[in-house]
Amino acid sequence: MLQIENTLFTIVMLAYFASMILYFAFIAVKKDAVARVAVGLQIAGFVLHTAALVCRGIGAGRLPLTNQYEFATSFAWGLCLVSLIFVIRFKFPVLGAFAAPVIFLIIGYAAMQSKDIKELMPALRSNWLGFHVSTAIIAYGAFGVSFVLSIIFLLRDRMKASGFLDQHIPDREKLDMISYRSVSLGLLFLTFTIITGAIWAERAWGSYWSWDPKETWSLVTWIIYAIYLHLRLRKGWRGRSAAIFCVVGFICVMFTYLGVNTWLPGVHSYA
Amino acid sequence: MHFAIALLLVLALACAASSLITQNQTYAWYSQRYSERTAGLIMALHLDDAFHSPWFIAITAFLCLNLLLCNLLRLPRLIRRTQAETRPESALKLPGDVSAQGVADPGAVFQRLRMPKPTPCKTGDGRDALFAARHPAGLWGAWVCHLGILLLILGFSLGQMTQQQYTVYGVPGQIKRIGDTECFLTIDDFRVDKREDGSVAQYTTDITVENVASVGTSGGSASISVNHPATLCGMKFYQNATGWAAQVDVYKDGKPIQQEVVCAGDYMSVKDKEGLVVMLNALYPDYVMTPGVGPSTASDQLNNPAYLYSVYYQGQVIGMNALMNGEEITIDAYTVTFSNPQSYTLIQVKVDRFTFLALIGGLVTMLGLALALYVQPARVWAIRQDDGLWALYGQSRKGGALFRERFNKAIDQRSQDHASD
Repeated sequence: MLQIENTLFTIVMLAYFASMILYFAFIAVKKDAVARVAVGLQIAGFVLHTAALVCRGIGAGRLPLTNQYEFATSFAWGLCLVSLIFVIRFKFPVLGAFAAPVIFLIIGYAAMQSKDIKELMPALRSNWLGFHVSTAIIAYGAFGVSFVLSIIFLLRDRMKASGFLDQHIPDREKLDMISYRSVSLGLLFLTFTIITGAIWAERAWGSYWSWDPKETWSLVTWIIYAIYLHLRLRKGWRGRSAAIFCVVGFICVMFTYLGVNTWLPGVHSYA
Repeated sequence: MHFAIALLLVLALACAASSLITQNQTYAWYSQRYSERTAGLIMALHLDDAFHSPWFIAITAFLCLNLLLCNLLRLPRLIRRTQAETRPESALKLPGDVSAQGVADPGAVFQRLRMPKPTPCKTGDGRDALFAARHPAGLWGAWVCHLGILLLILGFSLGQMTQQQYTVYGVPGQIKRIGDTECFLTIDDFRVDKREDGSVAQYTTDITVENVASVGTSGGSASISVNHPATLCGMKFYQNATGWAAQVDVYKDGKPIQQEVVCAGDYMSVKDKEGLVVMLNALYPDYVMTPGVGPSTASDQLNNPAYLYSVYYQGQVIGMNALMNGEEITIDAYTVTFSNPQSYTLIQVKVDRFTFLALIGGLVTMLGLALALYVQPARVWAIRQDDGLWALYGQSRKGGALFRERFNKAIDQRSQDHASD
């Protein structure tokens, strides 16, 4: 089963790479047919990615969410899922063009991690693991999409006006609104992640909050996006400023994910 | 609002900065890691225990006060707004966020926008009108979310202030008093389940707890393991850690006078000789001595156990070494031996009566966020014009461009349907 997962993972990487190239080609040649193929290839990659995760889960006899490789590949899966939802829901293939490199980078990072399957330590053997980590994947994926949308927003100002742009990139207000929707999804799931993590920590360690660096940085990320929502909802803070704030928020997300694991060891060091 | 945002920003910065400094270390540790000046600064600003420092508590308290006042002040306005949201008279005179003229069949547009069945009503100047409002609960999202955060912080703070926490450790057969309570814990059994590759699958301790102050009314037995705590005598018991212990035998002139099981890091006072203490500093199950590195263990299998001990007399160290099985320490007429290495269990005992409040706070926060972000109040109304057609208006406080787009699509769809008819 793990052999199949390995093969599928390689195919998935190639599919994501090919879809990224096709997305770039779509922007270069401005042909809708190319975008359709790119989206199709991304969907195919996503389906195979799902199959790869299922194979790993069966091979490991548990949810594949417990080490750096598994979390990174799941993160890429989550980002791919959320970006596809937004690409299809808002008929917005340009989003795919900007999300594809981020997905490819994350799955590339996963490929560099050890794929060894190790037995779980007792603290990780809990049903809460599934809720906690899977909601984190969706949250990170949604924040990733809001980051990509913000980059598009910021670049849109610098692009020359053209029919292609007007046809394929939503106007500023709608772009801003989609980004807000993405942050909303992320914040809701991040809250769920923090709460399920606290319930699990209480059962495993007897303390639902112990200011572990991962907990602290999850809270920092939550506060950053809470500030974003406050500024948006109450102060009408939209457009460029909101987009810059989203980029800062995603830097926090990445630090919570990678930086904390690398520089601030704590009880989440295995994650 | 500005103050709340400033507080949130300061809180985020304080958390981020504090997470970069290793917490709960001594001045000596910080001065070795950084410099004496930095260590002094860390201690002076309470950055060594930042999350319990007065300034951190003050920021959190200000945030709570702000949330409380914000919720209290907004409550009457929110009630009025919710009532107004569902009343046609408050909407009919407004221009709406989006509008359309000349609609023949407004009922179909209401349906397409998934609005409830519109209520017929009259405008101020007596025209026929239709009105529908949906999801006014969405207006309460931020308020509910603030309430949840308040409950969460309150539950956490009360828990921190009132919680009792004890640590009990020992080997099967031992009876230990739980802190200063009237409860006694008997360790009935301790098992370390291992997999074929030698990794640990689970630690399980069977315990019996008895409250001597109220015999027969509380207490009982339970099996606890990692992720599976148990509640007995109103206290929660967690399987927390494990370590090594050994049996220490003391002989005087060759005759046994004392026998105890001592856990690594713990000590035993020799009852026969006041001031004589034997400490088991560490136990190496598979002892190896590497020059330049020091003692260590090659595995966690009991292949070659060694006991690192210290002997104190009247507070002074009089001996320290590593002892193998069968070897002994001799101090005047006394002989000490270590044997029977075994795993001990470490159980955390906790009483926190406010965990439920924090949990409720968390769930209320979730509910508030869901209401705030995903339940979008909207109202749509139609006013009959002189030509018999209707003017349609829509308003959504949170829908923005997407609501307007959906509204226009619903109108366009109707136009297309009429054209095809």
